[in-house]
Amino acid sequence: MSQRHPPVSSYAELIACHECDTLSQIPALAPGRAARCRCCGCVLLRNPKGGLDRSIALYSAAFILLLLANAFPFLTLEIQGRSEVTNIFGASRALYHAGMGELAVVVFLTTILAPALLITSSLYVLLAVRLRRPLPALRTVLSWISQLQPWVMLDVFMLGVLVAFVKLGNMATMHVGISLFAFFGLILVTAAATAAFEPQLLWQQIGYRRGKTDAG
Amino acid sequence: MHFRKLNSISTTWAFLLAAMIAYLPANLYPVMTVVSFGKGQSDTIMSGVIYLFLHGDWPLALIVFVASVLVPLLKMFALGYLLISVQRRSHLRKQQRTRLYRIVELVGRWSMVDIFVVALLAALVNVGAIATIEPGVGAIAFTTVVILTIFAAASFDPRLIWDR
Repeated sequence: MSQRHPPVSSYAELIACHECDTLSQIPALAPGRAARCRCCGCVLLRNPKGGLDRSIALYSAAFILLLLANAFPFLTLEIQGRSEVTNIFGASRALYHAGMGELAVVVFLTTILAPALLITSSLYVLLAVRLRRPLPALRTVLSWISQLQPWVMLDVFMLGVLVAFVKLGNMATMHVGISLFAFFGLILVTAAATAAFEPQLLWQQIGYRRGKTDAG
Repeated sequence: MHFRKLNSISTTWAFLLAAMIAYLPANLYPVMTVVSFGKGQSDTIMSGVIYLFLHGDWPLALIVFVASVLVPLLKMFALGYLLISVQRRSHLRKQQRTRLYRIVELVGRWSMVDIFVVALLAALVNVGAIATIEPGVGAIAFTTVVILTIFAAASFDPRLIWDR
């Protein structure tokens, strides 16, 4: 076992399976390994390769891509000499103008707000642990990250763009902007970043209750 | 380790039944209207699929059909099945039912595809009298169905499957 990456859970820890409540004792995990529940097969704990540094690198890249994707227009439609441009926000805005404010909020949440919150929150917690600084509200932020994940629907939006692209391609000319590639990259990088992120490790470092700090 | 989800069974049923009720207007009302030269043509989700299919875009028709018609239906059936099996304290097929739950959790969000398509088309096709696309009431009902099923899946506690 490499000494450069200290093994995860070097103290014997009892973990209750998230899905079937079976208690298991987790041995120290080498990097890249995961522990699965012997009863239902659900993953209990992972030790992602590259540890914190890889997560930080990926989330930072995601942050940059997020800014790019949101700042520039990503799709242009040309029909009969007129052209219409939209950026990511355009989808929510169109719904809002059509009188469907609530729907606009949902689309805004799933395509802009949730991804932005996920990336910034993850970076916040990762950097706090990596730099060993007890930043405020760490526990609140970390617990919100797992709540946010089902609401990040960038990949679904991408499929929607594809469908819209094909639908409109029949009657008009479509142009693709920089933002679309940034968007595509964002989806891939976020997926990789989420795979490299194991909240349990961060909980172990932060401590579950206020006042209980880990020597880490 | 976290606490059991409070009132898991009743909350999940509540969300599931609400989703089932919303499923009717979601499919009956149009999700999108194309207004061209004063004439409007409305499309429901199903008619949109058929349109794509007839215009030779059958791969896309299939994607939209699976994501927007099949997935919500199957998700609702799956959750209903899980709830009933847990209430009857069934001991059978626990692993498969857990796997079913995991699939339901992962797959639900893909139904939002149609809403994003409508929103994008409405944003782009704004060429005045020549063509304008407006989202329809069905879109609101459909989004409600998707969100309710997401909440329903989130409120279901899979540990109930394994209880004795």
